Amino acid sequence: MGVVMPLQEAKKKESFKQVTRDDSTDLALFVRTSEEDIVGWKRQRIVDALLRETFIDRDTAERISIDVEKTVQTSNLKTVTGPLIRELVNARLLELGLEEARRMHTRLGVPLYDVDHLLVQHNKENANVPHGPEATNLTLAEGIKKEYALLHVFTTDVADAHLNGDLHLHDLGFIDRPYCSGQSLEYVKKFGLNLPNSLAMAKPAKHADVLLAHMVKFAAALQSHFAGAIGWDAVNLFYAPYLEEMSDRDVKQLAQMLIYEFSQQAVARGGQAIFSDINVYWEVPKHFVDVPAIGPGGEYTGKTYGEYEKEAQRFAWALFEVYKEGDGAGRPFFFPKPLVHITEKFFKTEGHMDFLNHICEVASVKGNTYFVFDRGDTAKISECCRLSFKLEASDLEDAKEPWRMRYSALQNVTINLPRLAYKAEGDDTKLFTLLTEQIKLAAKGHEQKKKFIEKLMALGKGGPLAMLAMDLDGNSYLRLERCSYLMGMVGLNELVKVHTGEELHDSEASLKFGLKVIAHMNIVCNKMAEQMGMKFVLEQTPAESTAYRFAKLDMAHHPEETAKVIQGNMESGEIYYTNSTLFNVGAEMSPIARVEKEGLLHPLIEAGSITHVWLGESSPDKEALADFVIKTFRHTNNDQIAFSPEFTCCLDCGKTGRGITDTCQYCGSEKIDGITRITGYFTKISSWNKGKLGELHDRYRNEERFVRK
Amino acid sequence: MTLFTKPDCRLCDQLKSKFDLKGMKVDIEVLDTGDAGALAHLAWHGLVEVARKTLPILVLDDSSTVEDFTDIESLLMSRADQCGLKYNDSTGAAILCETGTCAIN
Amino acid sequence: MVNATGMMKKLDNIKGFIESSFIDWPGRTCAVLFLGGCNFRCPFCHNHPLVRHPDELVSYPVEEVVSRLGPLRKWLGGVAVTGGEPTLDPDLPELLGIIRDQGFQCKIDTNGSRPEVLARLLDDGLLDMVAMDVKTVLVRDKYEQCAGTGVDLEKIAGSIELIKNSGIAHEFRMTVLPRYHSREDIVAWAAYLGKDSVLKLQNYDPRSPMYPGLAGAKGFSPGDFDELVQLIKG
Repeated sequence: MGVVMPLQEAKKKESFKQVTRDDSTDLALFVRTSEEDIVGWKRQRIVDALLRETFIDRDTAERISIDVEKTVQTSNLKTVTGPLIRELVNARLLELGLEEARRMHTRLGVPLYDVDHLLVQHNKENANVPHGPEATNLTLAEGIKKEYALLHVFTTDVADAHLNGDLHLHDLGFIDRPYCSGQSLEYVKKFGLNLPNSLAMAKPAKHADVLLAHMVKFAAALQSHFAGAIGWDAVNLFYAPYLEEMSDRDVKQLAQMLIYEFSQQAVARGGQAIFSDINVYWEVPKHFVDVPAIGPGGEYTGKTYGEYEKEAQRFAWALFEVYKEGDGAGRPFFFPKPLVHITEKFFKTEGHMDFLNHICEVASVKGNTYFVFDRGDTAKISECCRLSFKLEASDLEDAKEPWRMRYSALQNVTINLPRLAYKAEGDDTKLFTLLTEQIKLAAKGHEQKKKFIEKLMALGKGGPLAMLAMDLDGNSYLRLERCSYLMGMVGLNELVKVHTGEELHDSEASLKFGLKVIAHMNIVCNKMAEQMGMKFVLEQTPAESTAYRFAKLDMAHHPEETAKVIQGNMESGEIYYTNSTLFNVGAEMSPIARVEKEGLLHPLIEAGSITHVWLGESSPDKEALADFVIKTFRHTNNDQIAFSPEFTCCLDCGKTGRGITDTCQYCGSEKIDGITRITGYFTKISSWNKGKLGELHDRYRNEERFVRK
Repeated sequence: MTLFTKPDCRLCDQLKSKFDLKGMKVDIEVLDTGDAGALAHLAWHGLVEVARKTLPILVLDDSSTVEDFTDIESLLMSRADQCGLKYNDSTGAAILCETGTCAIN
Repeated sequence: MVNATGMMKKLDNIKGFIESSFIDWPGRTCAVLFLGGCNFRCPFCHNHPLVRHPDELVSYPVEEVVSRLGPLRKWLGGVAVTGGEPTLDPDLPELLGIIRDQGFQCKIDTNGSRPEVLARLLDDGLLDMVAMDVKTVLVRDKYEQCAGTGVDLEKIAGSIELIKNSGIAHEFRMTVLPRYHSREDIVAWAAYLGKDSVLKLQNYDPRSPMYPGLAGAKGFSPGDFDELVQLIKG
């Protein structure tokens, strides 16, 4: 029998391993050459790989290689692939009970079938990912990094908990990046665009439009270093020193450019728009009033930000004019999401009612506005779907040099709450014990990710996270010691239903029990934070796909219990758990009851919460909304609200109508797509996963449903 | 009525030593790091943010809340009178919490 | 509901209750009560179960409404009573009185067919705002076609005058669809109302109209509708 050829694949793989140890630039060159090169079978390569990659001894390695060689010889093959040889070796390792070695020797990759499927079909895990070559690149890379993370970054207990759906480690495909980032435009204004590995360095911008170009590029660079949202603090204020000489028309033009630039960035990472937020203030926030303003050329203007109130307001107004108009087809802009901070000072600032009506009109016609409530003296910077950071004393110290203000959450781990209730079988003590254990496990996962990022950061400016290690102001861009670690939750409503028999909206007792669960989570997080020296904070997980994933897994693992509480439509498979601590989206609750009652939970969730008011097709009166917003600020503990209208856009005539209809309201075409808010952002309904479609169908849109006798 | 307190809170301690709260049928909730029930109860009344600034807080039976220490004291005094219970007057006027420990973090 | 003595039970006609609406009282968040029954049969009405078969719908006891409204007092700018046609309900004055006693302002939506009831409500100071649905220009054939029944136009005109001179906030609303409303009709209406009264247009909602013959009929396209709105603005 002719000895089989080993193969480019095997060769490549080995070369890869050998070369990565010193310099990955040579790898590409080497591999290319090797493609032309057909190397004869060498049993020794198996031995080398085993010794290099695992801890087994030489004799065992030799023995395995001989066994595999025999198998290959007797199989009569003309060619084999490297992965096949590797799997044959792995099978031997398993037979010998060398599980640890098998893990270390495993190969990460994707079956041919899956790749074929992926290149042709649409990935709906994240509605923000379009379908295209860049998007499939991202999915493939994410797939491998996810496997890597589960095998190599996290310990088996944490990885298994993720795989079986006890908890969800978010963005595993972005294991080598922190989760999200909130920053200040001041950094770009002061330092220009000076990125490591960039071919050119730009000095601080002298003009507003150049500053915008810097901001957008910086955001894109950040997007390739963070998994999730890129948020900007007080954008209208920090632009203000550049606007003094500009006419209203030019300011509007700038606002338009800013919004279009961010909303059309679908040419960036993986064809994914940058998940971006801009924080907007009508007043000059207290902590910036006396801060010296940076203007053109990165120079101090000699004035403080307190003196730029009017310019900042002009820009804020213009931004919302652009939002009101929508894009070229009249659709709402999906990004950047505008977060307007409602504070005590807001109500003391001249013109606030006009501005409030203005942004409420936007909320009514397009839905973009997020109303963030900073009550008392708290100041917050918000980003992501609802993540916000309360500024602590050290942050307020930073505020004097606002370019220092940058915040990151390193990772987000979400706990599957309903499953805990299934396991607790109605026993309170058991439930809270299980919950504590699950939080501890999540904390362990956080610690492991932290160690991994620390390792990458330690490689400094020559490492993969060079941009995050850059230290233009004396600190690395990513200030690891200040990072937060997010603890999310899915399905509080269903946990409560399993445990008490009622959903959160059903009775006082069930809501009180829900509060107790979240209070417990809050307390355990604080204790763990003290113990481990890491800032664990509760967050309402956006759970765009997690609510669906947990539901599916629980239907498989706990079908009987799950069927009793699951939301959605089991027949069509459009099932889901209710997001985070939200109430049943279909419950006939008035917006008032929703903001009040959901709001009771918000103060316990320190990294931020939101209540959604689904508007459907009705266009509410802007003054009525403004009145509602003011009362939500005054009378509730609610953290943040957003109103979500629905739209139908026509794929034939390109026009956009209000409400979700079967045909285009303009031309009657049936080729249409709906648009509304999925979790924390607007997107096309055709891209939604099944769980979210189930939720969309159930959402209560504040309409009377007459009840027949 | 319910009095929300916390350990190591001077003002809370002052009330506890001055009044026979149990005899006056005032429920005491202690917001320490172990009691999710007390924290949930606080959240139910929408008082988490308030408690981050000041404690103790008195919640009356109609769910209205009293945060001012002097007001709490005088309310408790009339409650004690109604119950026919004496209270210890020797603690004198309200002291201010200077250490910032009279609040949850 | 008819009780054992054959008499209508008092205040038993609240068929729908929305605690907070952003679209039923200009500038305010308000609660909305839907009273069953209507003397019109507008073909384009989409509340037809409420109009035709209110007896088949569950009623909200007034006590429940009052107790649910109580905690909303600080939130609401008032309570809108709509229908159906609320002026048909003999209990309407009492209901409005109960709501006012709870400290809420009141608005009603009416089709204007019962000016005598309206006059009494206004005289008794029970109303803070009135919205009247006008169907089309005051031409018998046209109006009756839009109302789906015979209409006494003098009463309609009487209601309009009452409302215009009431001294309280008011608006006139008209649901329009191409089959029944020409551009001229709409302009003529706006002119008839004059400057001091608002005419608000509503586009026809094609889902589940009362009159099966309207199935498939469409409202104005959003673009044409906006044009009509602009037309009567200026």
